[in-house]
Amino acid sequence: MNIGDIPSVLPCALAQGSYEDRPLSGGFAGDLLSDVMGKAKADAVLVTVQAHRNTIAVASLAGLAAVVVCHGRPVPEEMLDAARDEGVAVFVTDLDPFEASGRLWAALNGRA
Amino acid sequence: MRVLCDLHNHSCLSPCGSLELSPRVLAERAAALGLGLVALTDHNSALNCPAFAENARRAGLAALYGAEATTSEEVHVLCLFGRVEEALGFGRFLAEHAPPFPHDARLFGDQAVVDADENVLELVEERWLVAALDLDFGGLCAAAASRGALVVPAHVDRSANGAFAQLGFLPEASYDAVEALGPLDAERALGRRVITGSDAHHPEQVGRRAFALDLEEGWMFADGSVDLEALRRALGRAGPGR
Repeated sequence: MNIGDIPSVLPCALAQGSYEDRPLSGGFAGDLLSDVMGKAKADAVLVTVQAHRNTIAVASLAGLAAVVVCHGRPVPEEMLDAARDEGVAVFVTDLDPFEASGRLWAALNGRA
Repeated sequence: MRVLCDLHNHSCLSPCGSLELSPRVLAERAAALGLGLVALTDHNSALNCPAFAENARRAGLAALYGAEATTSEEVHVLCLFGRVEEALGFGRFLAEHAPPFPHDARLFGDQAVVDADENVLELVEERWLVAALDLDFGGLCAAAASRGALVVPAHVDRSANGAFAQLGFLPEASYDAVEALGPLDAERALGRRVITGSDAHHPEQVGRRAFALDLEEGWMFADGSVDLEALRRALGRAGPGR
């Protein structure tokens, strides 16, 4: 499953589409950036409610491929700017983190 | 006397803070705006407080020194002291509880320690200062209070790093007042005085959310430092043992 396949797995809008499409290594759900920084694997998709600039900085440090912002939270322009600079895809979904993670997990593990 | 206060301001030490907002600019702008009491609260560090103290003195401004600490739940809490040495000591305590996440200035921004005249003394590179400490909300508040700090949970109603968003509610702990962006019921503030803070990261943000406080005579000591007990009384808090 590639980054570009995310919209076919869960209802979401592409908020930042300047990224290099590649296979996802897995996913990570978390709202504590310190957790994400310490535990997320490279090329994974992050499922979170944290929609701010530091989310992208932490995603870049961890080498994450994409961020899915849940609950339809508004994504500030400075977060999108940072994501564009870093080539991190950003999607926004109305789903909660449990639902979004469940659908991504199923697709990543061939259970969709 | 009524004093315009602003207890939440960053400087160029905070990676998210503008390099233009030196402790000198903070003190000068605050004084020019008519503020009477201003705090420097960089993320998890007090290293720019000596420079701020010197500039506050030059500008005739009463000052508080401290840090905006990040708890393990990523709640931000202002910890304020009357004297620079106390703030620096507390900063060393925070550093002992900081994770070893390396800093990447390209991603997060520079963390500049400067002197009173804006010369860069050091760029902090061994850690990202904003990262969560290994102290939870109650533990951090207690640790700060036990060192005599005036403790204020920051922007409790903000979607990022506020107590309501991170914890779901504001737990009871050792704090003296509550900083909020919007109006807050006394009930949600657990009976604490609700104050505003500028949370300035850029020079033009200094003073944007100052608040007025009625302070009794003698709220400053002879050496010019602020009597935190007088401040607590003005905020409606009792003394030690509260």
